[in-house]
Amino acid sequence: MSLKTARLLTGAYLVSAMFFVTWPGLLPFARIEPLILGLPFSMAWIAGWVAGVVIVLALLDRVERRYRDRDDG
Amino acid sequence: MERWLVVAVVITLYLAVTLTIGLLAARRSTDSVTGYVAADRSFGLLVMYFVTGASVFSAFAFLGGPGWAYSRGAAAFYILAYGALGMAPFYWLGPRIASLGRKFGYVTQAQLVTGRFPSRHLSALMALLSLVAFVPYITVQMRGAGIVIEAVTDGHVPLWLGALVAYGIVIVYVLYAGAMAVGWTNTFQGVFMVVIAWTLGLYLPYRLYGGIGPMFRQIAEARPELLVPPGLTATGEPWSWGAFSTFILVSSVGLMMWPHLFMKAYTAKDDDTLRRTVILFPTFQLFLIPVFLIGFSGVLFASQPSSPDFILPFMILETDLPALVVGLFCAGALSASMSTGDALLHASASVVVQDGIAKYVVISDLHQRRLMQAIVLLTGAVAYYFALDPDSSLVLLLASAYGIISQFAPPVVAALYWRRATTPGAVAGLLAGTLVAFFFWRMPELKPFDMHEGVIGLLVHIPVLVGISLLTPAQDSEHVEGFCA
Repeated sequence: MSLKTARLLTGAYLVSAMFFVTWPGLLPFARIEPLILGLPFSMAWIAGWVAGVVIVLALLDRVERRYRDRDDG
Repeated sequence: MERWLVVAVVITLYLAVTLTIGLLAARRSTDSVTGYVAADRSFGLLVMYFVTGASVFSAFAFLGGPGWAYSRGAAAFYILAYGALGMAPFYWLGPRIASLGRKFGYVTQAQLVTGRFPSRHLSALMALLSLVAFVPYITVQMRGAGIVIEAVTDGHVPLWLGALVAYGIVIVYVLYAGAMAVGWTNTFQGVFMVVIAWTLGLYLPYRLYGGIGPMFRQIAEARPELLVPPGLTATGEPWSWGAFSTFILVSSVGLMMWPHLFMKAYTAKDDDTLRRTVILFPTFQLFLIPVFLIGFSGVLFASQPSSPDFILPFMILETDLPALVVGLFCAGALSASMSTGDALLHASASVVVQDGIAKYVVISDLHQRRLMQAIVLLTGAVAYYFALDPDSSLVLLLASAYGIISQFAPPVVAALYWRRATTPGAVAGLLAGTLVAFFFWRMPELKPFDMHEGVIGLLVHIPVLVGISLLTPAQDSEHVEGFCA
């Protein structure tokens, strides 16, 4: 994947996360059921977006690192 | 032995270990300003991870978080939402800031902004605004420490003494070793906070309700309004979507603009360490889940604490945990308070001296360091004074601190990414944004859609910054090249 695509996708994930944890993106998910791992749905939903940041940034880092190594080499 | 005595012994041991770590760290630091402010740019991943986590999550998260979950329900989820979003852009910003720091010798935030936008008044303005935002923040940390100690020792150690001892120790190691001590003690405190939060957050629901799911089912039956965003206000009315959403937005924008967090970029050993800290940060942040569980576990409890902020010590004392556990919990809460408090004290001194005073008077490196130590003492004393005399306007000030701090984001981003930005644009934007935020903080009834005043400030700030920049002559391209790679 090119550096530009990786950065765009990361940016898109972050913008989506902001959208889906605030009004109006959160509206359809602002409910209690079903409980996820015992947590109310909206709480698990927000926690899921937070945990996703780790994965997305780790993937971005793999691409960025490849490009940095190439620059150094 | 009586319970409060056991608790007092555990706390004393904990404080002794913290002090020892802080003083040992001093031996690893040089006497220079870079040593005091940026720990000689030496922190590795482990230290950076816990320094960042522990200084982001303060007594507000550890005591206020359960308090919000307990009294305002889903409104607390806003605290869970903003951290990772606020931190993520630092993946790119952080290494950029660090590299400019190495290149030009910067150790503070205003140095970077005024490096691009030369103006000592801009520097002094940023120092002043930082200080205004810092004092109530430190006050809350001190009060938090005092409250916890008073509660778990059954009042045998009063608030004034608890806060004085805890912060006396903080001041000693901050004075003695600066950033190096803050880093190493925060590592210890960060581990403590995370372990205590997860243990207690999982234990209480099982003990009281037989599990997390059963707990939420019972709450959903009795108080369903608590579990649906945007939750409730402090008085139990439904909270507005406008406030919930803009709290998340302004906190995300403002998070890394807090000078004590921003300056962490200068302390990292290398860029990869910084990037990995950002990547891993959300894993630290998820400790808010057990923190909220502690608060929720109190919802259906028969008796109530005197104020929602006391829910954590209250639950611990009410569930008859062994004294040793109570002591450990207390140390966890103290960790949360002290690890943010020390970073705040340290940063306020660095900022006031480097960005304020040193812009108008020439002082040597050694004298700067002495002056910073004097300011640590002074700021600590002022915050302590307010901590003993709870004034409701201080709490209001703290809620608004993000309104001020978020105004640092446009000049920082413009300094690094927008070639056409000019000094008059940056100054005018910062003034306009801060004044608008201040106006709506004083006149909350005028706020459109119940929006956070910081967001309204940004809505004015950004157009002013752009407009004035375009109306004034562009900066010399050679100068700009040094900042916008």
